[in-house]
This record gives sequence, C-alpha cells and structure tokens, in this order.
Amino acid sequence: MAGGDAVKGMSDGASAAGVKCLVTRRRSTRMPPWLVSWFQVGPLALILTVLFALPTTLFLVVSFYDYDRVGIYPAFLLDNYRELLTTPATWRVYVSSLRFALIVWAITLFLGFNVAYFLIFHIRNSITRTIFFLLCAIPFWTSGIIRTIAWIPFLGRNGAFNQMLMALGVTSHPLDFLLFSDFAVIVTYVHLFTLLMIGPIANSLSKIDPALLEAARDAGASRWHTMTNVVIPLSKTGITLGSILVFTQVMGDYFVVRQMSGGQSASIVSMLSTEIQAMQYPPASANAMVLVIFVAILVGVMMKVVDVRKELVK
Amino acid sequence: MDNRFDVELISVTKRYGTTLAVDAISLRIPRGTYCCLLGPSGCGKTTTLRMIAGHEAVSDGDILIHGENVSDLPPIKRGTAMMFQSYALFPHMSCLDNVAFSLKMRGVAKKERHGRAREYLALVHMADYADRLPGQLSGGQQQRIALARALINRPRVLLLDEPLSALDPFLRVKVREELKRLQRELGITFIHVTHSQDEAMALADLMVVMQDGHIRQSAPPREVFERPISPFIARFIGSHNVLRAPHGQIAVRADRCRLGVANDGPHVNGQVIAVEYQGAMVRVAMKTDAGDEVSALVPDQTFYRQPAEPGDLATLVWSEQDTHALMQV
Amino acid sequence: MTARISEKRPWTFYVLGTLFGVYLLFLYGPMFVIYVLSFQGPNGGVTFPMVGTSVVWFKEVFQPGQMADIPVSFSRSIALATVVSCLTVIISVAAGLGFRRRFPGSAVLFYLAVASLVMPSLLVGFGIGLGFQFLGWQPSLFTSALGAQLTWTLPFGLFAMFAVVNRFNRAWEEAATDLGASPWQRLRYVTIPILLPGIIGVAMGAFTLSYDEYARTTLTIGPKNTLPLEIYALISSATSPTLFAIGTLTTGVSFLAIFIALLLVLRMQRRRALIKAA
Repeated sequence: MAGGDAVKGMSDGASAAGVKCLVTRRRSTRMPPWLVSWFQVGPLALILTVLFALPTTLFLVVSFYDYDRVGIYPAFLLDNYRELLTTPATWRVYVSSLRFALIVWAITLFLGFNVAYFLIFHIRNSITRTIFFLLCAIPFWTSGIIRTIAWIPFLGRNGAFNQMLMALGVTSHPLDFLLFSDFAVIVTYVHLFTLLMIGPIANSLSKIDPALLEAARDAGASRWHTMTNVVIPLSKTGITLGSILVFTQVMGDYFVVRQMSGGQSASIVSMLSTEIQAMQYPPASANAMVLVIFVAILVGVMMKVVDVRKELVK
Repeated sequence: MDNRFDVELISVTKRYGTTLAVDAISLRIPRGTYCCLLGPSGCGKTTTLRMIAGHEAVSDGDILIHGENVSDLPPIKRGTAMMFQSYALFPHMSCLDNVAFSLKMRGVAKKERHGRAREYLALVHMADYADRLPGQLSGGQQQRIALARALINRPRVLLLDEPLSALDPFLRVKVREELKRLQRELGITFIHVTHSQDEAMALADLMVVMQDGHIRQSAPPREVFERPISPFIARFIGSHNVLRAPHGQIAVRADRCRLGVANDGPHVNGQVIAVEYQGAMVRVAMKTDAGDEVSALVPDQTFYRQPAEPGDLATLVWSEQDTHALMQV
Repeated sequence: MTARISEKRPWTFYVLGTLFGVYLLFLYGPMFVIYVLSFQGPNGGVTFPMVGTSVVWFKEVFQPGQMADIPVSFSRSIALATVVSCLTVIISVAAGLGFRRRFPGSAVLFYLAVASLVMPSLLVGFGIGLGFQFLGWQPSLFTSALGAQLTWTLPFGLFAMFAVVNRFNRAWEEAATDLGASPWQRLRYVTIPILLPGIIGVAMGAFTLSYDEYARTTLTIGPKNTLPLEIYALISSATSPTLFAIGTLTTGVSFLAIFIALLLVLRMQRRRALIKAA
C-alpha cells in the first residue's frame, strides 16, 4: 500500500520517533454514531412526544381550568383538585382499587412465578416448552372484554362452576358470592393478567446460568436455599416488570370492575369516563392527573428496586 | 475399607438413552495425588468428573471416596468440591459472600463464616477484593475466588473442570504452578480435567488418558510419554511418530529422530512438507514414500547447519533402542 | 446394591406440574364456555342451560343488525390492525437498532416508552381526544385512533426488539462491511433477515394488540366503531349469545394469524439450525 512505501525504512523494526508519514489521509464521510442513533429512534421519539407527552401536558393544563354547564374556560384554579381530593368518594375508590391491585398482584406473582419456574427449569424439551408457553398465551389473543363476559355464565347461579360443585356434591345449592362480587372481580383480574407476570419472569429465569444452580448444590444448598439465595435474587428484574404491568393494569381498569362487581365497586377510570361523557373536562383532567402521578410514584418506587434499564438494554 | 486410595471407580458406566458416554471404567487414585483426566472432546472425561462430584447420576458401577461408597450421596455429603469451567460465581453476591456461601448453607453464624472466608481469600491472595462483585474481576481473579469457595469446605477431593482453558497462555503457566503448589500444601487429591497434554504432563502425578468412554492408559506422565500403549496415545500425547514395522506398529519420539542418510539402521524416506521454527527446536514435518506423516524435532543449531526446505527429499533416521512397540488398539 | 440416584423427576416437578395443570384449566374454563355457548339454541340466553344447539348466532354475526354492524366494524378492525402492525414494525425495529449505542437522550426516551406502556389506556385516549377537540379536528380511525394505539404497541414492540437485538452478534454486520456492503445493503441483506423471526413476532403482537384494543380507541375513534367497541355497544344494549359467537370467531382469527406466523418462524429457525449444526 502507498503508506507502506513511504515508511519503508521502518521494516527492520526501528522506532518510529521522528519519522513523518508522507502520505496524506483520505477524508472519511461517516456520520457520528450518535447521529445515526437519533435518526433511528427519531420516529419513535416523535410519535411518543406528540401522542403521549403532549396530551399528558394538555390535561395537566386543562386540569386547572374553570368550567360550567356550557363550556370550559382557561384559568388557573386549584378548585378541581380541591374538590377531587376532599370528596370521600375519591378516596374510597382509590383505596378500593389499590386493595384489588395488591390482592391480584400477590396471586399473580405466586401463580406466575411458579408457572414460569416450572416451564423454564422443569421442562427439558424445548419444543414442549414452546407449546406450553403458547398454551398460556393463546387466551390472551381473545379480546379482554369477551373473556371477562365469559366468567358470567361460568360463575352465575346456573353457571358451569356451580353445576360442577353440585354434581360433585360439594354444595347443595348454588353459591351466590361467586358472581357480582369482589371475588368475581379478583378472579377475572387474575385470569386476564397472570400472563403479564409469566412473561417477564420466564425471561429473567432463562438468563440464569444453570451452572450456578449446580454450584449452589455443590456447596450444600437445599432446594429452598437455592431458591431464596440464587434464583429469586437473580429474577428480580422480571418480578419488578411483571409487578409494574399488573399494578398499572388493575389501577387503570375500566371494564372488569363495572361488569363483575355488580355495581358494588367503582373504578377510578370509570369515574373518569363518566365525567368525560358529561364533557366536564377540567375535573376529568384533574382526576386523570392524580392517577398519573399515583402511577408514576408506584412505578418509580418499583424501578428504584431494580435498574430496569440496565437489565433490558444490556 | 481400603484406605490407600482417595478415590476408587469400580466399573463405572454412564448411559444416555442408548449412548454410552462412559463404559465400565475402573480407576484407583492413591492418597494426595494430582490426577489429570486427559482426552479429546467427547471422551467422557467431564462426565466422569461430574459423576465423582455427584452432579451426574451413575448408571452402573460404584464410586468410593476414602473407602466409603458415595454413589448415591448428594454432592455435599461426598467430601468433594467442584470448580466449574465457567467458575459459576454468584453474580449478585460479593466475593466474600460467594466464598462463605457453603458455610451459610450449613447455618454458620455471619461473623464466623465471614472470618473463615477472609482466611481463604487470603490463601488465594484475593483478600483485598472481598467486597467486590465477580463481574468486576478479571478471569484469573474470578478463578481464584472460585477456588477459595471450593476449598472452604475442606474437601477430601477437589474436582477441577478445565480450569485453565479460559486463561491466556502466560497466565495459564502461572496458575498451573499455583495449583500444583496448593495441592502439595493441602495434601488432598486434585482431579483435573483437561484436553491439553502439556498441562497434564506438567501437573499430574497420575495421568489418565481417555478415549470413547474408556480409559486407555493410566500411569505417571513419564511412563505415558516414554512408553505409550497404543497408536492413539502416542499421537495424542504429541511429539511421537507412529510407524509401521514388520511385527506391528512402533512409536519413536520425534526428538530422537534426525534428518540423515539411509544406512543400516532404521530409517524411512520421504519429502519435507513443512518446517516450523519453535525456538529451541525446529520441527520438520515429512511425508513418507508410503504416505505416512512423520516429524523430527531437531535442535536449532543442528538444523541451521544444514537447513531443509519444504519440497526437499529427506530421510528420517533413528536408532533401534529408541523404538517402542505399540499394542493394537 | 442400594437404589441408584436415577434421573427421575424430583417431587417438586409433580407439585408444580399440577399447579400448571390447574392454571391451564382455570385459563381455558371460561374459553370453553364461550366456545360452547356460541352454539346456543335460538331460544337460549347468555347463561346455561343450553336450549338446544344451533349456529343461529354465528349467522347473526354476519348480518348487520340495528344494534351493531359486525362485518363493517370487523373489516375496520382488520384494516387498522394491519396499518398499526406495519408502522410498529418499522418504527420499533429502527428504534431497537438505535438503542444499541448510548446516545444523548436515550434514558429520557426509554422512560418515556415505559410511561407510555404503563399509563392507563383510557387516559391516553382521553388526552388525544382532548387535543383533537382543542385543535378543532375530528377524531377518526386512521388519525387519532391510529395514534392512540401506537402509544400502546410501540413500547411493546420496542421492548420485544431489545430482547431480539441483544442476541444479535455484531460480527455479522462487521463481516458484511468487510465484504463491501454499504450500510443499506448490510441492513437489507444481513441485519433484517437475521432478525426476521423476532420482527415477525413484533408484527403479530402489534396486530393482536391493535385488534383487541378497546380503551384507547374508544375516545379517539369518532363515529365509526372498530370491533371491540362494537362488542361493547352490544353488551351495553342487549346481551345475547351473538357475543360468544363473536368471541369464538375472533379467537379463530387470532389463532390463525399467530399460527401462520409461528409456522414461518419455525421454518426459518429449522433451516438456520441445520446450517449451524452442519
């Protein structure tokens, strides 16, 4: 190469100090890497900003507006918030939602973790494992609305479950509490959202080096100790992700509570939708804002536990 | 109960479905021996190690440690400890907690187990790294932590699964010396799996060469090198020429061969196909007229007095007393 | 000799296996209710007992009724889902590749995506609907509804791409450059084909998410409904086994779509595994 000729005198390994290269470099026309990345993430950033960040700012702004039966007026009032936060109904709904969320979270975590563990560590054949995963995922592809509704004939007085219980002789007359109750709501939530736990947890578990489990066994750890000392700490990311998804889905739910609780409970979002339909945008915005902040705090706390970003974008 | 041996394998077999990974091998390892299991990929050496450890179930046969039949015991009850090829350090625990782990499993109190762990960290010269995470250490450092973790239980037998494979050549030699020194100091048996014959010869008191699930030769390195039993071993151990003779096959050490003139002594004619400079020696590869590949390891001074080039016709010469008859296997 | 340690399963296998079995029963119980009740007799209601069997409700699905117009909303759902799926694939593949490096603002964008994913769907729909109102625009299928659905599918697509891209060995791209490929050629002939199974997964996932999406769409769609909204209207007005017939049909459509995608992906994997094993 041309450069080689110019520095021929160096072939015997002599030091390069003081020798000037006589061949000029060619200019390279490459884009700096960070700019390439900006182009690649550009569309995503644009859409998320315009369709998510801006609307959120919008209802932050509108939440301070004044309103009456006719329309809404730009203003900066804290009235909407004051009304919202001083109404007992608001607190009741938040507490109720949170209660549901915690119960559902505990159940889905237990179920989800055990199913994921079973699929990752006990199923040796990868084809069988894929089939089992698909079996878990297929119901997810049917609309949540229809799956919610399907519980009604299942749990009702004349429903399949009661009929089965009576046929087995467990009870003599149909159980009433099964439907249109807290029980029904929780059952439906678990039905809908357990997959959200199974996915991220299975992902975390699959990243655990099997040699670690052997090393633990070699050092005398029992099955239980291996679980608490090795498996669970290493699956923290998956557990956190699953928990975030389940919590936010329950807190933001609109449909399930309305259908399955028989009017005994309300959900935050259904309160919101009532106001939206009445075109009372400012209080609806205030309501939305409070929910947003609440969810943000929840997610923030969970993400402090695990640096999710580091785990995902490794 | 025979207490002359640390480890005894009695007709041990491992079957995976219809495949035999290890076929009825028997072995006796005397007390305090550095034993190397050597062989090509798939010969069964790692499977054998894992069966001794208890991480693989034995299909047939028995394993005795210190005269006690451990074939059905879990790893922790055998008095063995394993150092894994990938080290398998727990990424979420500090080095100190990693080393103290087995004590924690036995319910030892925190202060005591941390104290003992620090002792063992000092033993492997890693005392300053007690609070670091494994991910922050280099390969060689991780290995020392893995070693400390294995030794803290005072095992009777230490099992090492290709411990030097992941290290660079310079580090390999250094760590080799340390392992040998450690074994002498501790006085326990080390069973070390490797596919490198140099490593095995440098370290082993007892070298066990395996092929296709069988033990082909089990003897001190000098004996294997000077008197290989079969053509396979002669070739695998390296630096040997396997040649045809009227009554069977013979092996001659490559460094006992020279390039010379055909006279009354044993010789074979052929053509030089490669010349490799190796520092103190020069390796001259030849293809004989009969089509066999042989080589001579010639001292550099001797070679450069009369250098040969690829393509030259040459004769490989050696003396009768350096030949060694091989069994057919 | 005493019993050997065999390769048999530990007791935890049976316990967890039973739990898994129970979970599957729990999961599929209501599904079977849907499937069975969709064949409800003409005089039956939405609960048991079955009053004979018929396919009358399936026929209802295909006839535009006063309460709901299924075929039209169905085709709208499919059309929207297709567009959402294509856009999601392009945008999240690009973004996934972009995130391979650290760039200024990557943390902000990451958390924005997380926020968009966890934000309750109705709020997002509300925000966009509100925005459109302020700007005086009419919400419609392919503007506001599309946008709202994207805020849901894009984060999913992005995180799916993270998993896929992490397994991608840059050495392949470097080899391509070494052999003279331009960046576009590299993308087209090396990067995308290798990532293709993951990309198909994202496409199918986005399609299904869009197809079933209800909450974000409801406030941003304007007068013409997609299928889930139509279903909701049906539920509010009068419940009949038509709903279950719809459920069975939509499950069938989703199933078919995923099945096709799976066949494609499996075929690709098998061919590639053969090359690796050779």
